Amino acid sequence: MVSLTRFAARGLLAAALSGLLAHGAAAEEIVFKDQENREVKLPKSAERIVSIVIPMASTVIALDGGTKKLVGMNPTAKSAVLEGILSKIFPETKDIPSDVTAPNFVPNIEALTATNPDLVIQWGGRGNDIVAPITNAGLNAMLILYGTEQLTRDYMTMTSRAIGKPERIKELVEWRDRVQKDIEAKAKTIPQEKKPTTLYIARALTEIATTGTKGSYNAWYMELVGGRNASAELNGTVTINKEQIAQWDPEIIFLNAFEARLNVDWVYNDPILSLTKAARNKRVYKMPLGGYRWDPPNQESPLAWMWTANLTQPDVFKYDLRAEMKTAYKTLYNYDITDADIDGILWIKEQGGSANYAQFKAK
Amino acid sequence: MAALTEAEAAPIVRRSHLARQTLVFSGLLVLFAVAFVVSLCVGRFSVPAIRALELIWLGATDPWRELTTIEERIVLLVRAPRVVLAALAGAGLALSGAALQGVFRNPLVSPDILGISQGAAFGGALGIMLGIWGFPLIAMVFISGMAAVILVGLISRINGRSETITVILSGLVVSSMFSAVVSLLQFVADPNTSLPAIVYWLMGSFATATWERTLIAAPGLIIGGVLLWMLRFRLNILSLDEAEAQSLGARTNRERWLVFGLIAVIVGSQVAVSGIIGWIGIVIPHASRLLVGHDHRALLPASVVLGAGFMVIIDTLARTATAAEIPLGVITALVGAPIFAMLLRNHYRERNGS
Repeated sequence: MVSLTRFAARGLLAAALSGLLAHGAAAEEIVFKDQENREVKLPKSAERIVSIVIPMASTVIALDGGTKKLVGMNPTAKSAVLEGILSKIFPETKDIPSDVTAPNFVPNIEALTATNPDLVIQWGGRGNDIVAPITNAGLNAMLILYGTEQLTRDYMTMTSRAIGKPERIKELVEWRDRVQKDIEAKAKTIPQEKKPTTLYIARALTEIATTGTKGSYNAWYMELVGGRNASAELNGTVTINKEQIAQWDPEIIFLNAFEARLNVDWVYNDPILSLTKAARNKRVYKMPLGGYRWDPPNQESPLAWMWTANLTQPDVFKYDLRAEMKTAYKTLYNYDITDADIDGILWIKEQGGSANYAQFKAK
Repeated sequence: MAALTEAEAAPIVRRSHLARQTLVFSGLLVLFAVAFVVSLCVGRFSVPAIRALELIWLGATDPWRELTTIEERIVLLVRAPRVVLAALAGAGLALSGAALQGVFRNPLVSPDILGISQGAAFGGALGIMLGIWGFPLIAMVFISGMAAVILVGLISRINGRSETITVILSGLVVSSMFSAVVSLLQFVADPNTSLPAIVYWLMGSFATATWERTLIAAPGLIIGGVLLWMLRFRLNILSLDEAEAQSLGARTNRERWLVFGLIAVIVGSQVAVSGIIGWIGIVIPHASRLLVGHDHRALLPASVVLGAGFMVIIDTLARTATAAEIPLGVITALVGAPIFAMLLRNHYRERNGS
């Protein structure tokens, strides 16, 4: 009953509002379905956006080509911005508030409302408790889902429409599509027995966690570039032990970019891990941290795929990653990336001695 | 047929009691030894059992040999320290539980009651969040566990002495205070890295065991355990009624805090290297009491052996059942609770029957 009356009241209010705005902004009204199949209705393109979702903060900056529209983000997203290159490209990012949400995606409604957002980007599929406070405060929420490349493209497209730049997403999605198709075409020729087993380590320092194939973006692009996920038997991201890694004996190990203090020495100095094929052949790499960490889907994913491809199948893939990065950073952030920036993003100093890594050094 | 006089009967009763105790202890020791050896031979990495036994023999006879093959390293650097640590931790927790239940004359208390676990959890969660790991993290956990016990001591000390009830209540107060702070830390932790690490650590695991970690924890566990064992007569007196204990010459307040201090060292050392492991400290002492009775001279060693064996079995399940590590807290409760319920029912059925 209560919800019904509230619904009716909100309907009346909306009707009254749209009546008021009818002659002015109706032409600009933006209506779309988000990934939880909810209708999102914006009277005009969103000018003030808060992203509670972590990687979407830097994606909004990339889609807008600047920081003006991002008015709030997750504290964890902010730490990635401050650790990475975005704080150098856009120094003003350090002033964007991050008190709008707890890192676990529970919004702080008062701080959120204080930023006066037109649109709040929130995770779907994690229950209504993190969404209801936003909609109850009368704010527009757009829910997105994690996991696949298609979902990523869809929510990026949705966001660019919401901020009134539908033309912007085209080149970004085309770029993703072009790189993915190119990789797929080349990877098709690789026979199964030439595909190395690869292991992505999602957490290392306090406990070791890795991820199964189903629903994992990392496993998806490792297999895209002609690798085989060594931990395919797992379900989701779970804790494992070193003995299990020895049993899998992966040929390549990718370390996450989330743990700032993690580097390849963690593998080389370990009595067990240093005996894996990956360590003996020096094929251990830490994922780069560019505009965002390259592990999860984000605006720079094609660069992550090319990096992974060159390392997984060095005979098949020979992307000029430095050139690709220069183009991409110009397109994404209108920034002329320097050689020193690239060295930092790719951890040249830390892992320049790894196998097949010389290709990434400046010529 | 003349009935046996009482004087004649006593030695026979004592002798049959002794025979029973010997039988129980040899049974427990065999169980522990089997669990220990079997868990060194099984794991996710397949090493033939014969080869594993050979490696254990080599490792025991020539410990400083250089280990080059993966098999050697798996058995001697991954499994061995983990099994030893699990055994020590299980023994320490069970011993602490047995001693505490005696001192408090309350079968429901477990080592958590003194606030050590929650205090230590706070140190661990804070350390993980600050990106501290390795030895500094262990030190931080240990120190915060000790700080919690000291806090309990200060709060419960009224007019120069502390009643058991005020100790239990102060323990509750300090525990809930620290667990609130742990929740707060979880709330602000990074969901990609520190949050899952904190959650996993809170559920307890030996997955990160190495010889260094085992050697860091061992002194606290062993020295604390040996000193508690030396107090076994004192524990028998402390488990009596307060006035009775004092009439037997015990300075109950001081001796109680001596026991608490030792338990803090044991539990603090365990939590520092393997997170919070519930249930062992309450299930094992009860099981041991059903096997060997209430006398601490028998109860303490029985708890040690049974606790060590049980923990080794649980941990072996945790690391071998699936490719993923199962948190210990889950298995100790799933396995421990039904066994405990069964033991209790049997015990009371027998008692009511007789």
